[in-house]
Amino acid sequence: MNEDPVVQATGAVPDGTGPSPAADALSHAGALLQVRDVRKVYGEGHTEVVAVSDATMAVDEGEFVALLGPSGSGKTTLISIIGGLLSATSGTVRIGDVEVTGMSRRDLTRFRAERVGFVFQSANLVPFLTARENLLYVAGLVKTPRAAAKSRADQLLEELGLIGRAGNLPEQLSGGERQRVAIGRALMNDPDLVLVDEPTAALDTAMGRQVVELLRREIKARGKTGIMVTHDLRMVEYTDRVFEILDGELTHVEEPSTLGH
Amino acid sequence: MGLATVEMRRAKLRFGLLTIAVALLVFLILLLTTLSSALISSLVGALKGLDTQGLVYSTSSQDNIAASRLAPETVAAVAAVPGVAAASGIGTFTTSASISGVEGDLQAFGFTPDAPGAPTALSAGRLPANEAEVAVDGDAAIGDVVVIGSQSLEIVGLLRGAQFNALPTAYMTLPAYERAVTEINPGLPFVPVNAVAFTVAEGASLAEVAGAVSTSVVDVKAYSLDEAVASIPGIDSISQSFGILVGLTFIIGIVVIGFFFLILTVQKMRTFTLLRAIGSSSGGLARAVTLQIVVVVVLASAVALLLTLGALQGINTGIPVSIDPVTVTGTIAAVLIFSLLAGLLSIRRIVRIDPSAAVGSR
Repeated sequence: MNEDPVVQATGAVPDGTGPSPAADALSHAGALLQVRDVRKVYGEGHTEVVAVSDATMAVDEGEFVALLGPSGSGKTTLISIIGGLLSATSGTVRIGDVEVTGMSRRDLTRFRAERVGFVFQSANLVPFLTARENLLYVAGLVKTPRAAAKSRADQLLEELGLIGRAGNLPEQLSGGERQRVAIGRALMNDPDLVLVDEPTAALDTAMGRQVVELLRREIKARGKTGIMVTHDLRMVEYTDRVFEILDGELTHVEEPSTLGH
Repeated sequence: MGLATVEMRRAKLRFGLLTIAVALLVFLILLLTTLSSALISSLVGALKGLDTQGLVYSTSSQDNIAASRLAPETVAAVAAVPGVAAASGIGTFTTSASISGVEGDLQAFGFTPDAPGAPTALSAGRLPANEAEVAVDGDAAIGDVVVIGSQSLEIVGLLRGAQFNALPTAYMTLPAYERAVTEINPGLPFVPVNAVAFTVAEGASLAEVAGAVSTSVVDVKAYSLDEAVASIPGIDSISQSFGILVGLTFIIGIVVIGFFFLILTVQKMRTFTLLRAIGSSSGGLARAVTLQIVVVVVLASAVALLLTLGALQGINTGIPVSIDPVTVTGTIAAVLIFSLLAGLLSIRRIVRIDPSAAVGSR
């Protein structure tokens, strides 16, 4: 599955033979996503908690990478900063030519609508909108003409095998179908970056695999860049590379095939 | 795609129940406002509706028209005061009478047609033009008869909001009034008037003219009409009590409406957080909530208005009660404005949403 590795294993790491995250980032100055020395600290003094410590990473256009780590490792904080949902204490995040960390709250809102697609764990869809309306809603945020939006929504739902369920509300869909709708919504505005947060958390293994496989296929087919947060080792085989995060530190970058061995 | 309207369409039961709950609160506010305003109007409506700028009472009356007694010559004395354009006597007393065949108490007013002190709140017909005619605010119809003592007066006009002391009130010419008083009190050397209604000459100050009347005519005190209405014994306390009652109901209603929408917002925080995360602006979500508040309050107000109309048809308060379009419009507008202000509680919650909470949320 490692179709398009950006980084080759070049240096010693604590528990294996992967390159250091810093080396990875620095060796790919033209990467679509560049995260440099991002630090996030909550509280101060005795109550200070470092959620992310000087994280540096780079992801090329067309890559689908995993951010792997246990609960409380800082992966959620890091992906939130990358997606413009949370501000960093220090460091920079660039997506293409845009420096996300320097944006105002209002600009970040627009940035998320236009350039980032999100797939969350659960409660992922607007409950009172149908599958098609969930896709059309995000198109409306970027003022896509109605006819074009409808055509794209139907095309995406068709590809995701959901055209027959387009008029159904989320409560009428299975967990897997809901996640597929969320994938469609994430791709609706043709974003640069797709951020996926534990997409299999509410699914059984088989369904989880189907969803992640579909996610990879859609991201790759469109040449998008995807980052999937997961703690499930079984899902990383669908990704090109794996960033491992532990106690706020990006400690490992490895090819998926070497994990778990 | 209007998020607010789509949600309301999809959640008909939830928004329907909310609308009914708000409608009941608005109904309570409307009914209390209407009843209190009707009661106050039935107590002071007669004075308020007189076609005059000022009233003159005897100094011993304690600001009460019913207790005031003035000799008929006082009218001419008031008219002679510089600055007074016209003056005319008004008499009033409470008696037993038959209105449209129904015996009961009646407040009688005597006035001079086309002179200061004539009633203005005519809703049908015309004012009496001779001693055989009367206009009534009460349960009567034009063509019916009011019998006072030996006099039978034909009802030629109906008035609204022109009662006094919450009694059916009949307006007749001063000679008819004097005859009614004389029949009941045959020993009277003359029939006193209770007040002198006066208007001031163009360019003259009402306060100054009233002051001049009080000082230059013996044993009288002159008031502007508003002062006279406000001086009716007990009216201040009654108005304040009803004001507190209506005000408290209004405040409680608004707070409850605000809480309704806050609960609705809190229930949808996960959805709002998701929407913020995927790029919806706080302003857009706030507008959606505002639209829902407007739609619910407007629909609820319409239902409440129908309920109020129905209730006023169905209940007998003993006083004439009618919907005043100005009061209703004002009340509904106030409910809407304050509901929107209460909705700021919800909007504050939306503005403070941390969109990053969508990540890692199950």
